[in-house]
This record gives sequence, structure tokens and C-alpha cells, in this order.
Amino acid sequence: MAVRRSYTAIVERNVEWSGEFATEPYEAAWASEAIFFVRALEVSPDFDGGLAYVQISADGIHWADEGSEFDLPTKKNAVTFCKVRHFGGFLRIRGVTGGKTSLVVLVSLALKE
Amino acid sequence: MINLQAIDPRLSRFDPLERVFFYDDFDEGIRGWSELIGNYEHSLDSMLPEYSDMRPPMLSNLSMWDTGTAGSMEGSYALKLATRARAGSLATSIKRQTFRRRGQIQLECYFTFKPEASELRLSLDDVRAFGVLFDLQDGMNPEFRWMPHLRYLNAVEDEMINRWQVKGQTRPFHNIGDSGETVSHFHLGPENWDFVDCPAQTLCYNEIATKMNWHYLKVKLDLAKRRFIGFQCNDLVYAGEALKHISIPAMPNLNCMLNTAFWVETNRDKRAFLYVDSVLLSGVF
Repeated sequence: MAVRRSYTAIVERNVEWSGEFATEPYEAAWASEAIFFVRALEVSPDFDGGLAYVQISADGIHWADEGSEFDLPTKKNAVTFCKVRHFGGFLRIRGVTGGKTSLVVLVSLALKE
Repeated sequence: MINLQAIDPRLSRFDPLERVFFYDDFDEGIRGWSELIGNYEHSLDSMLPEYSDMRPPMLSNLSMWDTGTAGSMEGSYALKLATRARAGSLATSIKRQTFRRRGQIQLECYFTFKPEASELRLSLDDVRAFGVLFDLQDGMNPEFRWMPHLRYLNAVEDEMINRWQVKGQTRPFHNIGDSGETVSHFHLGPENWDFVDCPAQTLCYNEIATKMNWHYLKVKLDLAKRRFIGFQCNDLVYAGEALKHISIPAMPNLNCMLNTAFWVETNRDKRAFLYVDSVLLSGVF
């Protein structure tokens, strides 16, 4: 029996999100399921949460909301995630942090055939 | 030379040395080509900033906004390196191996490169450079770590260059963290590149950013003599004097290292892409 191929890409590492953010386009047409994990490496003292939205694209240039959304982590080393299926070719997440608050993140995209 | 065509028609487009060390067709997965990261200690903040964001590789089926999917040269998927949309951004992918004998080795691959098709114009000078490098160290009683680098400098700002270059010197080493156990040096900066003594080579770009033509590249090294012997890209063959490479004293824990890496650098605030259909490393060992 062949095992299912899988791959985890670190799409952001040690990057500060303050205000609007979007991850780089990631191609995953070979995969049928994905999970975005967001881990907070640092959180500003007044950070009171925020939302991330999954987006999909046919070409990696023009994006549409996929419909899934999830909370950003609010404590150091906390992890939040979002499962996605049936997404076509390109994936990313976008969102915004509230006010002048910020968090430093490590974003993993776990993909599986 | 053995008749590889009789074994696998996919190999008939390569000219390997007597043994195949690895053959990676990216239709079969990522096959050990990971993101390159700098050394760190205790915190990611201790990394040299140039190494902090070298982007994860991906498997691409070359889908374009105007014509849909092209697929790779041989199948559906190619390894894709994608920079950020910021001039000077690099994307790098590395495969880490060791060798068992200091013989000759040869890398062959089929590749193509393009800027992101985010503008409806020629975009010929939007990719600054792409290249391949080796990171090598002798085995028993090592004297040297040596790093042959070969890059195609496509354009610098508004000037087309279309020349092959090699690198003979890295930047100074830095201590990382506070234990004294970890060091780091950045070797992909814009400095210390020398033109190879061969003509300019204009690679087939094919007019718009969504048309990709695949190119052949071959690079040959001698591990025993520590010589960067030569290379070939399509119909350009360099077989002159051994090419310059970075050479530094051997390091404590790198014996028999045989690392191979590809990278691409953007010339504009626009993503640059390098695609590799397949790569074959062969040798005499």
C-alpha cells in the first residue's frame, strides 16, 4: 500500500503581524486537505485577539475568501488552526490585528494528498 | 556509458556519470528539497537577518491566469521557489546528503524561471538571478569546506546582463548566540561575484510571463581535487580553467557533507519564480 504524501510548509516564521496581514501564496494543487496552524511566538501586552480568513486563488494573484475563519492565538506559544478542503490551487490566510496591537507568528501549512 | 534509455525513458535526456546518486522527479513529491535556514541559538532572533526568510519550496503545476495549467516538463509538478514581492528577496531550497568517496560528481537539471505574471507586459528584467550551489567538506581528516556557486545574472535594475557568474569569497563568520558553539556566514549576497569567461547567454524567455520554456543545466565537480570543473547550459558549454569557488577551513561537524541548493532572486517588488522539473546527481563513487 502506498502511503499518502504530505508536506508542511512554514509560510511565515518569526514575522510580526500588526494591522493587516496576508501570507505569501502557496501552491498546493496536489493536496486535498490542508491545515493552517498559527503559533504565537510573542504577543503584545494589549493584544486582545483577531481573526484570520482563508483565501483561495486559481492563479496566485487574484484572491477570494474561502469562507473559513479562525481566531488568532492570544498567548505566547498558543496555537490556533483552521482545516480546509477542496481548495483548488493556491492558498493563503489574511486578516487584521486590532488597533496598534501585534503578535509575532510562526505559520505552518500542513498539506496531505 | 550504460544505455539508460533502455532502463527508463525519462533518463534519456540526461548524461550521468557512472552511478546515479539521486534522481528527483517532482511528480513524486518534494524528495528532500527543504527550505534553507540560518543557524540560531536559543531564539530565531539570533539568526543572521539575511537567512531569516528564504521561503519554503512548493510543488507547482505551473498554472497561469490566462492559459491555465502547463504542467512540468515531464509530468504535472515541478519544484517551485518563490521570492517575496520585494526587490532583492531570495528563495532557496537545499537537499542535504553526504558522500562516501571523493570522486567526481555531476548535477543535471531541467529548469525554467519567470516573474509573477502580475503585470501585462514583457517583464524580461524582473528576475535578477538564479543559481545552484554546493556546500562540501572533505571526509576523514578534513582540511577544507568548499562551496562552488554558479549563478545566471539575468538583470540588475534596468540593465540586462545575461551572464554566468561564480563566487570566490563569502562574508565574514559571525558568532551566533552565546555558547561559542554556533557560527554563521552569509554567502548569497550581491558582492564578490565574478563573470565566467564565456559569452553572454540569452535564455529563451518567450515574450510574456506566462510562457515557460525548460532549460538544461549541467555542473561538474571533482571532490578529490576540490575543483569546480565546468558547466553546460543548453548549447553553452564551459570547459575552460577550473572555476573559482569559496574555500574556508574545515568545520567541526560537517565531514563528507554534500549539500546542493537552488535559489532565485527578484529584481523588482514582484515575486520571482524558479521551477525545477527534475534533478539528477551522478558521480564516480
